[in-house]
Amino acid sequence: MSNAVKELLYKMADDALIIGHRNSEWTGIGPMLEEDLAFSSMAQDKIGHAIALYTILHEVLGEADPDTLGFKRTEKEFKSCHLVEQPIGEYDFSTIRHFLFDHAELLRYESLTQSSFQPLAQLAKKVKGEIKYHVMHADTFVKQLSNGNEESKARMQQALNNTWHLALGIFEAGEYELELTSNNIFIGEAELKKRWMEKVTPLLESYGLTIPATDESKIAKGGRKGYHTEYLKPLLDEMCEVTRTDIDAEW
Amino acid sequence: MNTLDPRIQRLNLKREANGETQTNSHLVTYEVFHQEKRGKQAVHAGIVHAPTPELALMYAKEQYGRRGKTANLWVVKTSEVYTFSSEDEDVFETVPEKTFRDPAFYKVRDRIEAFKLKNTQA
Amino acid sequence: MYGNAFISPEEAKRMNEQVEDADKLAAFEDRITRGEKIEPGDWMPAEYRKQLIRMIEQHAHSEIVGALPEGTWITRAPNFRRKLALIAKVQDEIGHGQLLYSAAETLGKTREQMLNDLINGKSKYSNIFNYPAKTWADIAVIGFLVDGAAIVNQVINSKGSYGPYCRALERICYEESFHLKQGHDNVVYLATGTPHQRAMLQDALNRWYRPLLHFFGPSDKTSVHSEKLMKWKVKLASNDDMRNQFLDQYVPKILELGLTFPDPNLHKNDDGVWEFSDPNWDEFYEVIKGNGPCNAERIAVRKYAEEAGRWVRQALLNPSDKYVTPLA
Ligand SMILES: [Fe+2]
Ligand SMILES: [Fe+2]
Repeated sequence: MSNAVKELLYKMADDALIIGHRNSEWTGIGPMLEEDLAFSSMAQDKIGHAIALYTILHEVLGEADPDTLGFKRTEKEFKSCHLVEQPIGEYDFSTIRHFLFDHAELLRYESLTQSSFQPLAQLAKKVKGEIKYHVMHADTFVKQLSNGNEESKARMQQALNNTWHLALGIFEAGEYELELTSNNIFIGEAELKKRWMEKVTPLLESYGLTIPATDESKIAKGGRKGYHTEYLKPLLDEMCEVTRTDIDAEW
Repeated sequence: MNTLDPRIQRLNLKREANGETQTNSHLVTYEVFHQEKRGKQAVHAGIVHAPTPELALMYAKEQYGRRGKTANLWVVKTSEVYTFSSEDEDVFETVPEKTFRDPAFYKVRDRIEAFKLKNTQA
Repeated sequence: MYGNAFISPEEAKRMNEQVEDADKLAAFEDRITRGEKIEPGDWMPAEYRKQLIRMIEQHAHSEIVGALPEGTWITRAPNFRRKLALIAKVQDEIGHGQLLYSAAETLGKTREQMLNDLINGKSKYSNIFNYPAKTWADIAVIGFLVDGAAIVNQVINSKGSYGPYCRALERICYEESFHLKQGHDNVVYLATGTPHQRAMLQDALNRWYRPLLHFFGPSDKTSVHSEKLMKWKVKLASNDDMRNQFLDQYVPKILELGLTFPDPNLHKNDDGVWEFSDPNWDEFYEVIKGNGPCNAERIAVRKYAEEAGRWVRQALLNPSDKYVTPLA
């Protein structure tokens, strides 16, 4: 069973780290000061979630310590989805990604409060308020921009079209889905995807956006198995640049 | 752009070329009040600029509630707040003299002692 | 020159020629002498308003431009502790910008006008942010010493006469103590680490020494004084006094780690005054003029951020809403 739990924890931790890393790139250059502060806090929260998950992997499941897991693994060992690896682009893409990803996170963590794996259930209870705020922010902001002016409407629709199949890649099934569900560790990606669809579809429509038609063949899969887009390797090289200059040093 | 910042390298800095500035894109000003704990007063903390009260609250949380404890935040449109003009500050001037409103004004201990003394002597 | 150290001679001359309503001016000055604060709705001399706007605006610009050199290393911080500390620290600087622009807004200049003046080059920011953060050790030196210098300045300014600026500075100084602590922590880890780490730290110290001496502006012997600004508690300490206070507090903390500054003449004399070699003030004036190593980049990035964010702000704008000046 521990392999199943590890699979779940790694993909959640890697998603949180990579999106937190990406979103922190906006710190200091956001579209306005107040938004800059909010977006930066959420990026810090995400990195915090990654650390908490790596800590469970380390303390409960015997994996390496969090800094080693974050800064000393290879691209192939990362199990993040393709959505989170994408460069920040412009604010339309970053906002839509934030909305689609955080709705999935909220539903995931809400369901995990009931997990039979206690360390994860406890963490889920602890951070659900943070993720609730992330979703509040995403909802308010996407709603405002989708109802703003012609340019912003067009931008948000375009961003949604470009992001939709990447977002569906969040729910790529892992090797251990059955084990996770039958042991009540996790509701499983298929169920999560169903709940997410039911949540985001009416919301986005209420903002006046059109949900793109889903083409199964276009869903961005592979991340959960260690196959990534061209963006992850450079991201990791950059993130680990200083660490690698003196691999045994304490920083 | 010759830069050491990998984030900046990734930006499309050609856009900066015209350096055109903007006019009249001010968002609304909201005054923010911060309540640290249940049972305590909400205290004025500062302002945020935001397009709606909802977003003003989202922003107030990060600017005025990102450290320490927060029980709640209020936001109020600055245009909805009424204050005295500073020339009228003199209306408050004599208030501290009105000691009959202060508990410390009422001192009867001496009288009681004198009364007791008189009675025992009698 | 964080907020207030540099005034051109022409400006100082003009300042002394302004005429104001004598009674109101006397009442205003009495209030300041009594140690009371000035609040936004009060009568104030035009020159007081103008100098405060200039100073608070420069300070605000310094915060958001100051976020850029450190931002250089946001994506490369070497472990989780440093990564979170750095993002939170740079975020704070943006927060400081927000607080300071708000304080300046109470004096009647909008945030948008100030940002426009920044990207047009009409208004200045601290010279020190026109130097590059070349290695990770620069982040340690900036966090400890540049923030340390900024704190000296900001604690002094927080005793000034303008209420909203003092309130902003009180909050800012509290957050700065986190910046300082995390900067010192970073310095100590590098100083007590591997030879590679120590070497990169020493190199960073060597490069930041001169900009740090420039930080408080030219020597009192050569720069223009304004009695008026001192009397109005807009300026509260001389450049040399602030610089001396900074050196006194921070030089020993570097020396105790066995590190050095690239100046054989740096020492404290018997009267407690720090002496140092001439830090090349021509360079300081060149950087003010825009010829520092990173002036162009800093402005280009701020321009980009303003322009790339414009569609967002425009979309958020409700045309029927009217901007009003913050209350306090
Ligand atoms: Fe600051
Ligand atoms: Fe700082």
